[in-house]
Amino acid sequence: MLEFDGLVKAYGDNQVLKGVSFSVAPGQMFGFCGSNGAGKTTTMRIAMGLARADAGQVRWSGRPVDEAVRRRIGYMPEERGLYPKMKVGEQLAYFARLHGMDAGPANRAAETWAERMGLGERRGDRVEKLSLGNQQRVQLAAALVSEPDVLILDEPFSGLDPVGVDSLAEALLEQCRRGVPVVFSSHQLDLVERLCDAVGILARGSIVASGTVAELRSTTAGRQLRVVVPDASPGWAAGVPGVRVVSEQRGDTVLELAPDGDDQQVLAAALATGRVTHFAWREPTLVELFRDAVTTPQEVAA
Amino acid sequence: MTATAHRDVSAPAPAHSDVKPHSPAQLVRLVAGREISTRIRDKGFLIGSAVIILLILGMLVFQVVINSGADDTRVGVVGGDSAISGALESQGEALGTNVDVVAFEDEAAARTAVEDGDVEGALLGPSEAQPQLLVESGGGQIDTLVQGALQNLSITTQLDDAGVQLDPPPTVEVVALEADADADLEAAIVALVGVVVLYSLLILFGQFVAQGVVEEKSSRVVELLLATMRPWQLLAGKILGLGLLGLMQMMVIAVVGVVGALAFDVVDLPGRLIGTVVTVIAWFVLGYAFYASVFAAAASLVSRQEDLGSVITPASLLLVVGFVVSIQAAQEPTGTLSTVTSFIPGLSPLVMPVRQAAGGAEWWEVGVSALLMVIAIAVIVRIGGRIYAGALLRTGGRIKLREALAAEKA
Repeated sequence: MLEFDGLVKAYGDNQVLKGVSFSVAPGQMFGFCGSNGAGKTTTMRIAMGLARADAGQVRWSGRPVDEAVRRRIGYMPEERGLYPKMKVGEQLAYFARLHGMDAGPANRAAETWAERMGLGERRGDRVEKLSLGNQQRVQLAAALVSEPDVLILDEPFSGLDPVGVDSLAEALLEQCRRGVPVVFSSHQLDLVERLCDAVGILARGSIVASGTVAELRSTTAGRQLRVVVPDASPGWAAGVPGVRVVSEQRGDTVLELAPDGDDQQVLAAALATGRVTHFAWREPTLVELFRDAVTTPQEVAA
Repeated sequence: MTATAHRDVSAPAPAHSDVKPHSPAQLVRLVAGREISTRIRDKGFLIGSAVIILLILGMLVFQVVINSGADDTRVGVVGGDSAISGALESQGEALGTNVDVVAFEDEAAARTAVEDGDVEGALLGPSEAQPQLLVESGGGQIDTLVQGALQNLSITTQLDDAGVQLDPPPTVEVVALEADADADLEAAIVALVGVVVLYSLLILFGQFVAQGVVEEKSSRVVELLLATMRPWQLLAGKILGLGLLGLMQMMVIAVVGVVGALAFDVVDLPGRLIGTVVTVIAWFVLGYAFYASVFAAAASLVSRQEDLGSVITPASLLLVVGFVVSIQAAQEPTGTLSTVTSFIPGLSPLVMPVRQAAGGAEWWEVGVSALLMVIAIAVIVRIGGRIYAGALLRTGGRIKLREALAAEKA
């Protein structure tokens, strides 16, 4: 289990983190969301020892993350960084060695990962000669080349084309299948929703919502029901107890049910009007959840 | 793309491979290895090394040419005998030049040889009453040489004819009051050449260290590196790796220089030459440790290569001052300026080897100077390491020295 426990960090008067806590199980993919400047990067940098927390700690398998543990973490910083004049293959082998591999396995791993990232032919090229997209792949390969136990990736998908996104996603899922906990931050919420087992939303220095996407949905205040009744007269649902009409347009109705509201009563009322062509709980997208969580943090207990 | 969010998340923890974390020493070695293997293939470095070695060889060849030009005098003779040749050669010895006597058949051949510059002059009819010396243009040394030789020959012949037997003249014993002066001068020249090389390499490798630090900062790769090691390990690896390369280069230059000097027979005292070279190399090690740390700490304050000049100029100036003083010290090894500066850390690596070679330094002075230097290095490494660690992860404009010192690993 990778645990972030009560991280607090201030830069001068700017309180960036006010007690960030979440945990990621082995094999879990954790999507780390938050507005710009919410503190995602700071949280990850604290885990990597690049910033020091004023309070709190990060633990892996119950043990505080120190240098020895960190060498088993694959990391991709937000500000990409590679030696521009070093060749792709040598660079990957070097990072593999820094993470503890011996020369032979490191060279083999570098070869394998260059191949898997579709950089097989570019192995002998200097990094600065590569396109930005390919540099990004090298960056990811540098994080993966040592077969790390934990992956912490800051905005790994930014700047990738759709094909690149897919191959990166596939690579990350494969790491999860190996049992590696993966934490990545992203603004691409559809991607997070599609890939992640768990999501944490960071706003104003603390986690305002976390859990699986399904859990986030269930904790969202107010459940919404979409009912399409083409033959109904306007205001058909107003009389049902515990129901508030959110919108109604030629029979396409969105209703919000109070916690004690009964969806079966709604269905009965709908059937009473004639044909019912659609009747379903409306699942809020992660984008909506995110907006909700970020704007009204107090109401969303994680 | 078949990725979904619904998988079994209770997968086992990854099988821990054969991978063991490195010890700090291994990390330092890895960093050093990268520095060496990157630099040694760098075109600029290779060309620079070749130029330095060519310069050294060129200097040696120049010496040889100068010496040989001064040493040999070729004199043509028409109608001479062995007595004439002997007289010319012994007269040459007295004048400090090597005389080659070339015999010609007739005047025409001798004239051509003089015109072509094959011989410096040609002596016609030496046994006759009125011998002639053919030269390309007015007299000079050959004039004196031939004149003297013929006079001696003539006196000997006349004395022989008169039946006079002379006692051999007494040989004068030469007592030199400053027996080592020549050797000291030679050693000082060797030391000066050594200091030129030392100065060039300190500048070159100091630059390499500084550029390397900024490259890692500007490309942000430092963030990845520091996720696996501490700043001091990165710094130590960089300085040791480049230092080793510098030392190797110094050795190559020293071997080329010494072997060349011995092969071309440029120096008179090989023992002292080698001693001086070893001294210069030892001072290179101390000087490099000092300047590399200063350059690294200074370079860590900026994030772009363009800003590098402004932060390393003060340290470079110190090097230049040391170099200028060392040249002055070669002329006046016992002067106040050279004595004082040979104790100042940072200047001593450039000044002390010259003083030592010129015989102007006692052994205890060398010891004190080296000790001061070692203490200075220890202090610089400590403070420089702190500046480096504090400044490494801060990018943007130039960081103030005080901020870097105050910043813990932010």
